[in-house]
This record gives sequence, C-alpha cells and structure tokens, in this order.
Amino acid sequence: MSTLEYITLPWEVLGVGALWLILMAFFVALPCSQMGSFLILRRMALTGDAISHSVFPGVVIAFFITGDLASPWLIVGAGLAGLASTVIIELIHKWTRVKQDAATGISFTALFALGVVLMEVLLGKNVDLDLECVLHGRLGLLLEEDQVALFGMLVPVPVLVMAGVSAFTMLLMGLFCRVMMLSSFDADLAASYGYRPAVIHYSMMFVVSFIVVAAFQAVGAILVIALLILPGAAAYLCTYRLKVMLMIAALHALLSAVGGLYLHVWFNSNMAASVVVSGGVLFLLAWLLGPVDGVVWKWLKAEHSALEESSDEDGNS
Amino acid sequence: MNDEQEPALETHDLTVTYHKRPVLYGIDVAVPQGSLVGIVGPNGAGKSTFIKSVMGVVPSSGGWVKVFGKPMRENLHRVGYVPQRESVDWDFPVTVMDVALMGTYGGLGLLRRPGKAEKLRASEALDKVGMLPYSNRQIGNLSGGQQQRVFLARALAQDSDLYLMDEPFVGVDAATEAAIVTLLREMRERGKTVMVVHHDLQSAGEYFDHLLLLNMRLVAFGAVQDVYTPELLQKTYGGRLTILSEVADQAAKL
Amino acid sequence: MFGEMSVLASVMDILIPGSGSGKAIMAAVLLGAGCGLLGCFVVLRRVALMGDAVSHAVLPGVVAGLIYSSERSPGIIFLFAAVAGLLGAGLVRLMMMSTRLKSDAALGIVLATFFAFGIMWQSRNQQDTVGVMNFLFGNIGSIDASDLRMMLVTTSILVVTMFFLRRPLLLLSFDEGFSRGLGYPVKILNGVFYFLLTFSVVVALQAVGVVLVSAMLITPAAAAYLLTDRFERMMILSVVFGVVSGITGGLVSAEVNGLPTGPVIAISATVLFGVIYLFAPRHGVLSKVMRTLRRRMRVRRENTLKAIYQIHEGEGFAHEEVSVLMLARKRGQTEENVSKDCKALLSRGFIEMAEDGVSLHLSRLGWKRAMEIVRNHRLWELYLTNEADYAEDHVHEDAEKIEHILEPGIVRQLEQHLDFPELDPHGKPIPQPAHLVAQSTVTI
Repeated sequence: MSTLEYITLPWEVLGVGALWLILMAFFVALPCSQMGSFLILRRMALTGDAISHSVFPGVVIAFFITGDLASPWLIVGAGLAGLASTVIIELIHKWTRVKQDAATGISFTALFALGVVLMEVLLGKNVDLDLECVLHGRLGLLLEEDQVALFGMLVPVPVLVMAGVSAFTMLLMGLFCRVMMLSSFDADLAASYGYRPAVIHYSMMFVVSFIVVAAFQAVGAILVIALLILPGAAAYLCTYRLKVMLMIAALHALLSAVGGLYLHVWFNSNMAASVVVSGGVLFLLAWLLGPVDGVVWKWLKAEHSALEESSDEDGNS
Repeated sequence: MNDEQEPALETHDLTVTYHKRPVLYGIDVAVPQGSLVGIVGPNGAGKSTFIKSVMGVVPSSGGWVKVFGKPMRENLHRVGYVPQRESVDWDFPVTVMDVALMGTYGGLGLLRRPGKAEKLRASEALDKVGMLPYSNRQIGNLSGGQQQRVFLARALAQDSDLYLMDEPFVGVDAATEAAIVTLLREMRERGKTVMVVHHDLQSAGEYFDHLLLLNMRLVAFGAVQDVYTPELLQKTYGGRLTILSEVADQAAKL
Repeated sequence: MFGEMSVLASVMDILIPGSGSGKAIMAAVLLGAGCGLLGCFVVLRRVALMGDAVSHAVLPGVVAGLIYSSERSPGIIFLFAAVAGLLGAGLVRLMMMSTRLKSDAALGIVLATFFAFGIMWQSRNQQDTVGVMNFLFGNIGSIDASDLRMMLVTTSILVVTMFFLRRPLLLLSFDEGFSRGLGYPVKILNGVFYFLLTFSVVVALQAVGVVLVSAMLITPAAAAYLLTDRFERMMILSVVFGVVSGITGGLVSAEVNGLPTGPVIAISATVLFGVIYLFAPRHGVLSKVMRTLRRRMRVRRENTLKAIYQIHEGEGFAHEEVSVLMLARKRGQTEENVSKDCKALLSRGFIEMAEDGVSLHLSRLGWKRAMEIVRNHRLWELYLTNEADYAEDHVHEDAEKIEHILEPGIVRQLEQHLDFPELDPHGKPIPQPAHLVAQSTVTI
C-alpha cells in the first residue's frame, strides 16, 4: 500500500465509524486530560490510579443490581467505593505507623481484588462485564452498540453519553479553574480565603471518580490512568502557563484518539490500548522536543551557552 | 463597632501538638494594632507553627485565636499570609503576575474572574516591590530575592489589615532585605499590623518595634526596648526548660 | 558442563513436589519469600507505588515471552519480564532526572504505557489469551514443575543477594545521605534493589498476576511492620504472612471454579493485615483504644481520690469519714455516679466503706495516692508560675491534666528545681506523701 492508502485506510474500512471511534476516544480522553493535569500539579497522579482501581467493586455491585452498564447507579456505586477507599486509607495511616503510600496500596489492591472476586462470583460469565472488559474496556466494540438518529445521522449512544459527560466536566473546569489553581499552588492561601483544602480535595476526588466510571466502559479500569496522566505530563513539558498547559493537554487527547484509531486499524490491535500507546508516543515527543523541558532543547541550549561562554572569555581578556 | 481598641491578634492558651510532639504550649498574647512584631526564638521553637496555627492551617489542640476581636474564621479576609519560600512549588506553571493576582482572589468569591480593578491592584503591588517588569516570567525563573518580592506583592495586593510573614528574609540579597524593611515600615505607617517570623536575632532588634520571644512557650512579648534584654534573650535561647519539654512530650503522646 | 547442570536439575527436582497441591504450596512459599523480603524495603522506603509501577511494567515482557517461546518456556518468559521491569524502573528514574516531572507522574506514565503496550501487542497475536490471563490475574494451579524450577532459581538468587547485602540495603533505606558519606556505591545499591524488586515480581507473577502483585509487596510487610520494631523480625514475619496468604488464597480459589488466584491471595493478605491492624499488641488499633480507656478510668479514679482529700483538707482534717453525698457535691455529680467511682476505688483498696454504706474513709494506700496527686498538681502550678512565667489563672487547667502523668523521676526533679517548696502559688500547702510512710496512724 502506498502512504496515502495507509492514511485513508480507516475511513475505507470503517466508513463513518472511524469518526465515531475518534470522537468517543476523544470525549473520554478530554475530561481525563483536564482533571489529570491538576492531579499532576498536585502530585496526586497515583491517587488517580488508586481511584480507578478502588471504584471497581462499586461498579460491579451496581451493575449486578441494575444489569445496565450505562446506568447512573454505577456512578453512585463508584462514589461509595471511592469513599470507602479514602476512609480505609485514612484509617490505616492516621491510626498506625504505616505510611500513606503503603496505606494507599493496601486499600486499592484489596478493593480491586474484591471487585474481581465479586465479578466472578456474582456475574459469572457475563458478556458485558468480564476480565477482558476490566483490562481494556469495550472501545473497539463501539460500532456494535445501539445507535440513535441525530441530525440525519446515526450516532452510537455511548458517543452521545460521553459527549455529555465531557461537556459537563469542561463546564466545571471553566467555573472552578481559578480556585483549583490557587488551591493546588498554595493550599494555605486558599484556606485563608475560605477554600478549605479538604473540601477541594474531596470534590476533586469525586469528579475524578465520576470521570473514571464514565471512562470505564470505554477503556477499562487500568488504562484510565494513562488518559489521566499522559496529556497533562506531555503538556507540562511544553509550557510554563497553566491555561496553555490545559489546552495542549486537550490537543494531546485529540491526537491520541486519532493516533489510536490508526494503530487499531493498521495493526488490528485493541483500540483502547492503541489510544494509550499513541498517547505514549506523543509524550515521548514532548519529552524530547518540548519547548520548556524537552531534552533536545535543553541540550542545545547548554551547548549554545557553553559556546557563548568560551567566546566571552576570549572576548574579555 | 469600635474595633480600634481591639488587639490585632489575641491568643489564649494556644497549644499545638504536631505528630505527637508538643510544639506550642499555652501561648497567651495580645498584639496591639499598628505594631511591627518580630517573632524570634531558637530553631524548632514553634515560630512557624505559631503563625500557621493562627491561620488555622495547623490545627490547635487547645486554646483560641481572635483577630480584631472576632474568631479567625469571621475575619479571615483581614489577614494576609506570606508563606515560607521553601514550601512553594517553583515548577508550578504560573507567572509573576498570576501570583500577584492571587492576592486579589479573596474578594472575588468562587466564580468571578479577576477584572480590571484586580489587575490594577496586582500591578501596583508588583510595582511597589519593583517586580512589574517581570510580570510574564515563570516564578521558577527568578532569584531568591525576586521570588520573595513576588510573594510580598501578593500580600500587598490582598490589602489586609494584619499580615503574617514566615521568614521573609531568608536567603535574600542585601538590597532586597533593605527594600523589605522599608516596605514593612511603610505598611505600619498606613496602620497595618505586621508579624514576621525572623531568624536573625541581631537585626531583630533594629527592624521591629515589638518582639515576641518564643520557645515552645511564650517567654515574653512587648516593646523592643523592654524585651530585648540579656536575661530574656538568655531565657529564650539558652536551652529549653527541660522539665517543661519532657512533660509536654508525655502529654502530647496521650 | 552439562553434567553439572543435569546434577543441579536433579537436585532441584527433588525439591519439587509431585502433587498439584504440593506445587501450589511451594509456589506460595517462594512468592511469600520473594515478595515478603522485598516488601519490607518497599514499605520502609515508602516506595509502595514504585512496586506497583514495576509490576505493571513487566506485562510487555510476559507477552513477548509467550509469543516467542513456543513451549511456553518459563526461562524466556521470566527473562523478558525481568528486562521489561528493569527497563520500566530505569525509565522512571530517567524521566525524573531529565525533566521537572515528579515521581508520581513518572511512575504513572511508565505503569500505564508499558501495560497498554503489552495489551496492544497481545491483542495483535491473539493466540494465547488464556496464558496471558494466567499472568494477569494469577492461576496458581497452572504452575508446573518447570515453572517451579525457574521460580526456585530466581528466589534463591534473590534470597542469597538479600542476605549478603542486607546491612548496606537497610542503611541505604534508612539514610541515603549517610550511606553516601560512608562511601557506599549508592547508585549500584539502588540498581541492585530494583533488580531484586523485579525478580520478586517475576516470581509472584504466575500465582498472583501482574495486576495484583503489588499487594503482595505491600500488605504482608505492612502487617509485619505493625508487629515488631526489629528489622530482622519484620522480614521473617513478612515472609510468613506472604506464605500464609499464598496458601490460603490458593486453597480458597481452588474451591471456586474459574476464579483467578491473584485476587483471592490479595484478599487473604488484606484480611490478615486487618486482623493485625486491630489486635497487634502495641501498634494495633484496639490495643490503643484499650490503653486510652484504661487511662481515662485511672484519671477518673484519681480525681475522686483528690476530691476526698480536698474535703478533708477543707475541714482541717478534723473528721475521718466522708459521706458519699459530700463527695457528690464536691465533684458536681450525681450520687449514683459517685457510688460507681467509689466501688472502683474500693475494689482497688484505696478506700474502705463504713458499715452504714453511706460514708467512707481513705485507706493508707488511698492517702498516699491522693497526696501524690495533690502534690503533683500544686508542684506543677508552682513550676509553671515561677519558671515558665505562666499567668496564675492559667496554671490550674494545665495542672488538672498534668497531675496524672507526672512520673516520680520528674517529681523529684521538680522538687529539687523549686528547692523543696512548702506552698503552692495560691498559698496552699504541698503534701509530702513520704511523711506518711514514717507515720503509723492515718490522721495528720
């Protein structure tokens, strides 16, 4: 195949389905990228990981009761599980000498293990929710989902749901960006303005849980952490300005979605994993070439100033 | 509501334990408005903790705090806080102007954005400390003295009545130090009350008009000429009251 | 050379049990040993999430091993997995050193991208899904003799290295700066640590699976941490807990068909941790609660004794008896409550009740303890007033708290410091319980 044929391949194979896949991946990745950026700034990237593992038993129980992966009760279940996780972590590291990192590890591994056991015992061999789904979600099966007519087109329902989630999260971000920035940068000052650190923290955790559960169907419980961290980390290496960082993270989400589709079609590989790998490649690019922290630029700058210094010494004798 | 007579800051029996270690024990103090107070004491004496517990950042295990006659919670907006530089994340993607603007957030509430008035206040504050030309620089990209000035500008932008500053003179160049002292005196002229955790005993005698001598407990508080005496300084710096600290240690573990 | 190798193989074969359950038990023992030992360092160095990252990072290695070794050779799988794990650990450090990214972000990035790469690769080569599932969620039943041989070799290397390097590693974990000052090759030691970490992950892979291996690195060691203050004991306990969890998990999951063993082992380890969390003698939560309750009861008893003394003092020690009613009034409580307190004092021999059941008097023990409490209170007030310059209206509150915790050594120091005072700041006499010993009668 020629290069052009490689580029047009997804559209030939999937038709408009390619668009839905990209949009779905983007709508999942976008809110993750925004909240995840703040997780990175607050050094809580791995709390995101813990949350994505901890909510799993809540999801299982809620699904067992409602039988519907798109039910809003899943959010409730996830929220409760997330709350249980936080309580367990506090109980361990506030009341004994076990430190927070170990307490986090004990809590989320136990909850996740519980989720898997509950899933096997309660649900048995369920098509909608099984180990495979946990690992990598059902993004690739998007085109087999129910569709709804909208503006003369047939749109898969999950795309619309995720678009809603995405819009809602972006709205929250827009309203509270300033407060989150302040609280993340200087919690004491924020507290002195009346923005209590505990309230901000738990609100953010709740929103992350909400996003994680929404993303669960698409990418599973483990890959979510990639969608949370990769965009923000890549953007962090590219700019010194917070607003720009958030925009670059959003761009990363979009490009990962597109890249993921191509990898999926070219290599016949799992869609969700492909999105993450593509995000990883973009991160690699940022690591090397990022204007602020990219390895290549820093090396070039070092060479340049070394040259300047030596010519300086020659000049000023 | 005559609060000109109220002390700017009043604490009663303020006691703080940190991770089962006693740090402050029964602090009783009343700071008159318009004073420029230096908080001095040996390392680990609880000076930073004192400020933090007044701000409510660190929880106290006993006693109360009043600011201008009201509990801290009600008068939060009248207090400006300048943290220690070492506790700041200098890699955070904010510029000098962003930080100065943070000082104006107090009056904005949850949803409003900073407007022209806030930007003006922030610019004036930056100008006062000589950092306006650096408005667009990321904060990690500054020298120690410049960083300190940015945080001072933020405090100025807050336009508070009581300022609590945690070791603002550490690691700054001589020019910045002089500039800060001038600024503090100016603030006092305008009726502000400023309390500064200070690390250098010698300059403490010159920079401030009141001193708060702290060594886990309050050793003395008063005008510099009354309190900056060999006996009191010896009491503050000459080793802790060993019995007191042993017993406080025991009590903290309960 | 092959002659020695086959001798070695036969020796190892002796160690390997014939039965399925025997193999499972051995697998549990090996995983307990590997993860238990390393876990101690993981917990103490506070790098729990690093363990999680390394364990997820091995997935692409496992997938590669499954694809490129036709007979599912454990050696190849282990080797590739180890390489992937080490690569991941190395990338984390590289990321942290070359950019402003902090450890949490670096760990998360490596964890997720490596894992995703493994999933992606596996999805391309659809062949061995069951095999991968075994490695992802664990299946102790699938471990055969050749797997065990590999695990045995890996664990032996791990244990031997740990044994020889335990002091330097311990010192490094506790105080890296100090180790550097001693001239330890810190970089190499850290490298060795990550090597060992990767090996322990690889040993546990088949039993527990990639996703939950970090549970075995953290939970048993944390449980051990709550039981002992000595590092050697912590390591032993951690290994024991790991083994017990492995065996329990293996047994329980064998009962339920199709249940992967990893989650059950992880849950067993957590349950064990939970039990220790509650009941550990010194650090357990329940024993702490009991201690607090016991102390509160003691304070209550002592306050009652103090009240009795104060009643006597108020009357100039004129009467021997005190009525329950007076005590209730003094303490500001109901007669019922006060009677309960008296019962407690009675059972401990501090007071004796009169026949009418309404009045009581202090026994010798009671006098002694009451005087001690009052003395402590007044001494402390004097100390605070004189030495610490506390305001007079302040000192009483503080003394109420402190009077119960002053130890004899400190009391002696106080007396000397204050030059054996006779009066407290309010002019009240400071009792001398020592005099009581010399006297044979109770009244003063």
